[in-house]
Amino acid sequence: MNQPASAAADGHALADVTTIDNITTTLPAVLQQLEEVLMGKREQTTMALACLLARGHLLIEDVPGVGKTTLAHALGATLGLAWTRVQFTSDLLPADVVGVTIFDSGNHAFQFKPGPVFTAILLADEINRAPPRAQSALLEAMEERQVTVDGVSHALDDDFFVIATQNPMDQLGAFPLPESQLDRFLVGIEIGYPDTATERALLERGDQRTEIAALEPLLDVRQLQRWRSQCAQVYISPPIFDYIQALLQATRQSSTGLSPRAGLSLVRLCRAFAFLHNRSHVLPEDVRDVFPALAGHRLTGHVSSGQMRARELLEQVVMP
Amino acid sequence: MKPQRIRSLRVLRRLLPDMGQMPRASLDARTLYALATLLLLVQIPHLLHLPAWVSLSAATLVGLRLMLLRKPDVRWLTPLLSPISLTLMATASAVFIKLDFGYFIGRDPSVAFLYILVAAKFAEIRRPSDATLLLCLAAFLLLTQYFYSQTILAALITLPAVLALAYALAILRDPANPARTPEQLKLAGVLLLQGLPLAALLFAVFPRLPGPLWSLPEDAMARTGLSDSMSPGSIGQLSQSDEVAFRVEFDGPVPSPDQRYWRGPVLSEFDGRHWSASPLRLETTPSFRGNPDSIVDYTVMLQPHQQRWLFALDAAVSLPRSFDAAADGTGNPAAGGQTENGSNPNAARRQSRVIGRLMSDGQMISGKPVSQVLRYRQSSVLLDSIRPARRPSDETLFLPGRNTRTIAFANELRQSLDSDLAYAQAILDHFHREPFHYTLRPQLLGDTPVDEFLFDTRAGFCEHYAAAFVVLMRGAGIPARVVTGYLGGEMNRDYMIVRQSDAHAWTEAFIEGTWRRFDPTGAVAPSRVEQGLAAALPGESFVPRLSRRQAGWIRDAQLRWDALNHGWQRLVVDFDNDSQDKLWDRLGLATPALWQITVIVLLLAATWCAVVLGLPGMGRSKPPPIERLWQRLCRVLGTHRLARAANESTSEYRARACARWPGQATRLEGLFRDFDSLRFQPLEVDRQLARLRGVRRELRRLEWALLLQSR
Repeated sequence: MNQPASAAADGHALADVTTIDNITTTLPAVLQQLEEVLMGKREQTTMALACLLARGHLLIEDVPGVGKTTLAHALGATLGLAWTRVQFTSDLLPADVVGVTIFDSGNHAFQFKPGPVFTAILLADEINRAPPRAQSALLEAMEERQVTVDGVSHALDDDFFVIATQNPMDQLGAFPLPESQLDRFLVGIEIGYPDTATERALLERGDQRTEIAALEPLLDVRQLQRWRSQCAQVYISPPIFDYIQALLQATRQSSTGLSPRAGLSLVRLCRAFAFLHNRSHVLPEDVRDVFPALAGHRLTGHVSSGQMRARELLEQVVMP
Repeated sequence: MKPQRIRSLRVLRRLLPDMGQMPRASLDARTLYALATLLLLVQIPHLLHLPAWVSLSAATLVGLRLMLLRKPDVRWLTPLLSPISLTLMATASAVFIKLDFGYFIGRDPSVAFLYILVAAKFAEIRRPSDATLLLCLAAFLLLTQYFYSQTILAALITLPAVLALAYALAILRDPANPARTPEQLKLAGVLLLQGLPLAALLFAVFPRLPGPLWSLPEDAMARTGLSDSMSPGSIGQLSQSDEVAFRVEFDGPVPSPDQRYWRGPVLSEFDGRHWSASPLRLETTPSFRGNPDSIVDYTVMLQPHQQRWLFALDAAVSLPRSFDAAADGTGNPAAGGQTENGSNPNAARRQSRVIGRLMSDGQMISGKPVSQVLRYRQSSVLLDSIRPARRPSDETLFLPGRNTRTIAFANELRQSLDSDLAYAQAILDHFHREPFHYTLRPQLLGDTPVDEFLFDTRAGFCEHYAAAFVVLMRGAGIPARVVTGYLGGEMNRDYMIVRQSDAHAWTEAFIEGTWRRFDPTGAVAPSRVEQGLAAALPGESFVPRLSRRQAGWIRDAQLRWDALNHGWQRLVVDFDNDSQDKLWDRLGLATPALWQITVIVLLLAATWCAVVLGLPGMGRSKPPPIERLWQRLCRVLGTHRLARAANESTSEYRARACARWPGQATRLEGLFRDFDSLRFQPLEVDRQLARLRGVRRELRRLEWALLLQSR
């Protein structure tokens, strides 16, 4: 679509030549590796990566067993980040998430035992099965990127990235996340069942989850941070902003629409998405493609129904 | 001695710091070029009527100043363009103009002098205030063009200069604005268009002076038209001109072609070759006793012919009156000099002015030469005889000694008949029976033209027949005279055009106490009287194109153009204080006082300004050019049944378009790529403009290509 040559000549290309090379070679490799693990889910992996680059958190709404954990694992392995997993249950306490302060009798001092949030990628499984207290402890950590235990603040990892999964609401024993909390997830996606051919391949090949551990990290932390700063420089032209505003307005026509914070998130996500497509500017289809993932869980509280509604809205708003 | 003089010059220079200095290049090149273009455009309409040396010297001055701009180092230019030498040049040009024209106070020399002064002002221009002054001067010079002509063409030819004026004003007022010339021109054009309603309003209501603001001294101008003398061939020459003599609007039914005798100069004096008007003429008052229903009322719009006579259908029963709003179709104008119809309030308020006199020979004379389009009301009764107030003078019987053969023939014929009337009829029969030819190109005649014509060549135009007829009548002792004027006229929609090619000469003979009209041309070529010149001369290529009967679309276009000019003359040029009063009447208002007009104008102007400036939403909501082009592309593809879905991305749309028109795929790819980069990528202004031009061009080509393919 966009010629790399013209992008470079237009003077707003990504910062320096080495990183451009880096992107053009590394990025496809990263996406390729992710797709190999999570077969046939290119869209979802790209969205997850975009969410990570945009410094947001990912909400996956789906039934168990479609590859949520695999996705988290693969992301962590490919990007060279540490990851942990917390299974949320109805008796989970906040301290189980953020950590506790215990008395060290040897040193005669209180000592902070970090919880599972002190990692780069946190997979919060079945977040809506936990009681609200535990949920809100995690959500606070997500927003502030720090946890406060007994009056002492502890900063989290700079790349802190949460992948939360929730069961579809028709399952029993769920505490639905309130809308204000849902707003903290940048992206809400479904993974969905694989299509027939992919599933056949999957069945034939057998479970390869064990191989994930053997994956080579293609990126280091410094590179990830450079990518993030480059994302912020992606150009958005006035017609695109018009389009974004029109979409935001459209969501506000009935019931609760998207907040200005959601609007900011949309802009960030668009930039990251365009960056992942190796572009220095956002195209209207970027906005169109990321909009359901961004707006779905915010509009109705459920990813599936919300995305459907978001697609209806897209039909109404004329693209530039 | 010499050093001393130089020193005193230096002292002088110090005392007068501005004198003798070269124009500093403080005005930027763009302004200077804009002003030069403006001057060029202002001077173009004047090229036609100014001497060549005036145009050339003005152009030279402009050129020298531009040269100084390009090459500031040329040493001889600086003193040449100093105020002192320019003053000398202006003085010299004044002298030359006086020598060339022979006089100085008058329209042509004054305009020529102004023309040179404006160019000289340009040559010494150095400050922005000079430029402002120059703009005013240029505007005035532009106006002087209307001293010469007020036609539509004259107005149209000034339009580029008006645009250039606005453009120069725009860059003078905002020198820092870096916008390119087309954009500035567009701005100036938009400003002018926005000013149009205001100008129209002022045109309609701004109080007019009843006469011209100042009367221009008369300049001698050669005009085609009838003259006060006639010799063989003079009318024949006139007949080869398409030029409009006058236009007529009839209140009632239009007279039939053989009754359209427009009476002009009456020629009684004859020296054997030339006919001329009698110097001894008395004024008379028109009178008519008879059926008032037979009076024909009409309005004549006479083109300037620099002579004093006016034209009326034979025979006039009223004095010509100035055209006035009250008489326009509503009231019956003065028949026999009475005032009409007291029920019309306008008529009571304004008496129309009598602008001419009727002479005893039936000719109408205006108070002063007709030097601009004259519009007057006239009434006539269509008669072919005039009852005179007194006996005809002797000169209507006088014959110089030449043309003896004619006189002998006349005496012989008269004696064989028993009445003057029968004699006149016999002559007409003679013309009809004998092999006389009607032609525009007769042979040249010698010293006794009437003899030669009657007995030798027997081919001539109307003046030959008229002259021969009068000589024959006088030879038999019957008073007779030649009447010149126009015969015919062509209807163009609701008015009649009378052209120079309708010029005609006929005769009147005094028989049984009245002047009777005889048209010997009618005896030779009846179709000339009934259908006009072209019908009478079917084979002659000398007949002007517009008088020919079948000339196709050119003639049609010319007639339309004439109708347009007629409307322009009536609605725009002739729009005077009477027309204003009529306008107020039509609005149902009394003519307001000056202060009321001022208030109305200010209010309407303020409203208009509010409309133009106060609704910025209108201007701002307009999308930028590239978005409009994109919408145009979508519209174009939409009309070829490839409408874009609301959430279809540009690349998807492009793919569909390429699949639909594979032949245009390359162009479509390029267009879409350019659109994407123009709309969504950050570009420098230069690249953006260049690419925008490319997109515009490609889009146009695509439109044509699709249009041709769909056929």
